Amino acid sequence: MSNLSIQNLHIHFSGVVALDEVSFDIKEGEIFSLIGPNGSGKSTLFNCINGFCSPQRGSIKYNNVDLLARRPHEIVKHGISRTFQNLQNVPFMTLLDNILLGAHHRLTMRDTFTRWISRKERGREEALALEVMDFLGIANFEKKYLSGQPYGIQKLVEIARALICKPKLILMDEPAAGMNDQETLEIGKIISEIRDILNITVLVVEHDMNLVMNISDRICVLDSGRILAMGEPEEVKNHPKVIKVFLGDEVHA
Amino acid sequence: MKGRYDDENLKWIPVLILAIFLFPFILKGATSSYKYYLYVLNIAGIYMILTIGLDLLSGFTGLMSLGHAAFLAIGAYSSAILVDQVGIPFELSIFISPVIAGLFGLVIGFPALRIEGMYLGLTTMGFGFIVKRLIIALREWTGGSAGMPVSKATIFGFTINNDWDNYFMIYSFVIISVIIARRIVISKLGRAFMAIRDSEQAAQASGINLAKYKMLSFFISGLFAGFAGVLFAHTSHFISTDHFDILLSIYFIVMVLIGGAGSIYGAVLGTLFIVLMENLFIPLFKDGLAKYIHLEAGDFQAFIFGFIMLLFIIFQPLGLYGMWLKIRIYWKLFPFNPRRRST
Amino acid sequence: MKRYVSIIIMAALAWIRCENRVTSPGVTDTEILIGNIQDLSGPIKELGFLIPSGTNMYLDYINAQGGVHGRQIKMLIEDHGYNPQKAVVAAKKLIEKDQVFALYNVIGTSTTEAIRPILEESGVPLVAPATMSGTMSDLSRKAGHLIFHTDAGYDVQSNVLVDYILEQNANAKIGVVYQDDDYGANVLKGIAEAEERHGITIQREAYQRGATDFVGQTGNLMKGGITDVIIGGIVREPVTIMKTSQAMKYSPHFFGHAPTVDARVGLLAGDAGEGFTSCYFAYLPDSDKSGPALYRELCEKNNVPEKMRGIYHYYGFATAHILVEGLRRAEEYPTREGLINGLETLNNWESGTYPPITFNKNDHAGVEKIMLLQIQGGKQVAITGWLE
Repeated sequence: MSNLSIQNLHIHFSGVVALDEVSFDIKEGEIFSLIGPNGSGKSTLFNCINGFCSPQRGSIKYNNVDLLARRPHEIVKHGISRTFQNLQNVPFMTLLDNILLGAHHRLTMRDTFTRWISRKERGREEALALEVMDFLGIANFEKKYLSGQPYGIQKLVEIARALICKPKLILMDEPAAGMNDQETLEIGKIISEIRDILNITVLVVEHDMNLVMNISDRICVLDSGRILAMGEPEEVKNHPKVIKVFLGDEVHA
Repeated sequence: MKGRYDDENLKWIPVLILAIFLFPFILKGATSSYKYYLYVLNIAGIYMILTIGLDLLSGFTGLMSLGHAAFLAIGAYSSAILVDQVGIPFELSIFISPVIAGLFGLVIGFPALRIEGMYLGLTTMGFGFIVKRLIIALREWTGGSAGMPVSKATIFGFTINNDWDNYFMIYSFVIISVIIARRIVISKLGRAFMAIRDSEQAAQASGINLAKYKMLSFFISGLFAGFAGVLFAHTSHFISTDHFDILLSIYFIVMVLIGGAGSIYGAVLGTLFIVLMENLFIPLFKDGLAKYIHLEAGDFQAFIFGFIMLLFIIFQPLGLYGMWLKIRIYWKLFPFNPRRRST
Repeated sequence: MKRYVSIIIMAALAWIRCENRVTSPGVTDTEILIGNIQDLSGPIKELGFLIPSGTNMYLDYINAQGGVHGRQIKMLIEDHGYNPQKAVVAAKKLIEKDQVFALYNVIGTSTTEAIRPILEESGVPLVAPATMSGTMSDLSRKAGHLIFHTDAGYDVQSNVLVDYILEQNANAKIGVVYQDDDYGANVLKGIAEAEERHGITIQREAYQRGATDFVGQTGNLMKGGITDVIIGGIVREPVTIMKTSQAMKYSPHFFGHAPTVDARVGLLAGDAGEGFTSCYFAYLPDSDKSGPALYRELCEKNNVPEKMRGIYHYYGFATAHILVEGLRRAEEYPTREGLINGLETLNNWESGTYPPITFNKNDHAGVEKIMLLQIQGGKQVAITGWLE
């Protein structure tokens, strides 16, 4: 039974409270969205799950594994991968290599040398990457250096890198940030497919309300480190506090 | 997988290797002072092995080292002591001595887990001074600051007698080093190094243990440098601490930067460029230029190198290898080159 | 493809042409090439300028007289910056690229040690290396038969200094400050010999090469009640030690090995340097021997600036005599063996610049006598004759 359980998470940075008693569960096969204004603690929550921040109180358990006791690089072994808000790619590496970076823990050094002996024979790692690239529709770019590629492609590479390690849960930090409407639609489609075809649970932070409302099963609204509301899209949309804090102006306009 | 180097034209590699090994014969035919040129090339070859290692550390992993002359010294002194005093055959020493240097690399790798950039540079620089002092202090084995003579290398009963033999030995090892380094770069290991350089967060999220891979990078870099040290000791037949100073470490950095950090071929080209500049080209111009620029001999070289370095940083940050790539693309597209826009 | 074939053919032709060339390296009908490796960029670069200019002054004088056996002597100078590895590069360049006939006056101990393998391999003789290492003239060492050493060793100097100090004051307590390297090791070798001969103990204080602070060493000497201090330094060390002592109100007699004979010691130390005594192993430039007389004459003729004249400029001038005499004694068409044999015939040979010099098959150490110079009123004055 795959689920992520966050209990009473509290973290503050030198007096500024980033997350205050945050608790929620994510069920397997769910698309769960975190929304909230800037500085409401969404990314901090991701960083806690990922091991980059250590909260002062609370627990994060995934399949009953205590994630807070794990070091950042161990998280991915438990089936959790993530993408970043700002691109965290390696510009002077090809697309393929960037994606394979995500497969780090699945590969052994032996894979490196198999292709050395026979260049024609495609190594295991290459097959891995092509699978994911096909899924995302960027297979034609494999040999290109990442630097100089369009932003949309770079975003997809991030997602591919998170997918190639065959996660059970993927954390996506603003996948549609900086994208035009067309690309945002595609991202939404991809997120749904990740869940539907690959059976991966998705936890997504996003600002684009249309996208969030369209794809999410459940939504959690954070404000100043506290949970404001949680529930299905319709429910959250009509929640008075949410309207006031977050959607307020839009509704009255 | 299709790696960084997949689009390169591999059929040229055997030709290049053949050219490397035929070159001494052509040189011998062309000039009677071929031995000196071979000697200069040998130095370049030894330094190439080191700068390849340094490039893996600084260019690929993004960890600065101002102490690589110390690794060279450790390899050189280890091998000199092992072969001449302990009596281990040279064939074994070329495996043991680099490992010793690599282990020192691990030692200096520890602080690298916590500190970065300039501070790491200073730490490694301090490491260089410590190693130098250590060598002087262990004078019973190392001869102190007076230096020590080193025997000739013997590989499987074949004694490497002169620069002619050295050339073939050194460049065989250079080719092997380039091949190994390239495999490292396009493998999981290389990807991990580059990820650490460009984004530690992404590296960690992908399951890369920063501590382990930073240490590994120092270890591998130490291996290369130590190996260069072994060759250095047994081909120059005399080693002394005076040579392994901070200036040499800086030269290595310059070689990597001018060649183009983050490219194995770049390290090789940069080293060749600097060593040839220093020993062949600058002496040619020195007397002519000395009329216009009043500098003393030592400063003159530093001046020229500083100037070249500046030009590269401003006009060609990707180094010699980047320049080569541009030229190659230019010829591929010729005559349909895109016009350079004036904006 | 055509291009490659033509390159290979051209290379082959060039090769064949080279095979037919027969020459003795560095010698043509009109010229003999001599290689010199000096420190032009390192810690003693002033010497790297002064010594070869002294040499060139003498070589010009000889060349103006028609040279040796009708050949002009030309000296090529390379830089090693006091770095043994660069000395190796320079030696390779001189021997293999410029193809000099012989090396001469290479400065520094570790740098000369570093080029021994090259000398051995190429059979190029090295005349008058500018180092006072006592083991330089050891014939049993690599390339020993190729090196003709002129200067008195540091070990000899140490012995003479201790003898002299004890002669002046039988109760003297002696201390030595030595550089923590091969120079110092050689100094200590002589000190140990002297200790054994006289049955005394000498307090030893080490310093690192390039050190600028001597408070610790001076303090230790003061604590030990040392009355006579021997400084195995170059220029900075004696100056700093004497100034430090003056500041600490500690005034023993100071002595130094031959590198401290530099006139700058007196200039820099000022009144602290008064009475400083150093070793010297050639005739003084202002003495009335024939060599110094010629030196003064040539200096006047060539308008050598006053500040260049002095012991180091003269040293280059003096050692050149030995080189030229060696070339004279080599055959009409000189070979390297000829030069070696020629030098080995020197028997109590009076150059006019040095005390008489002897080289033979079993002895490549030239001068083994020294005299002591003392700074009196800011000038260096000989206070002894030749001591052994």
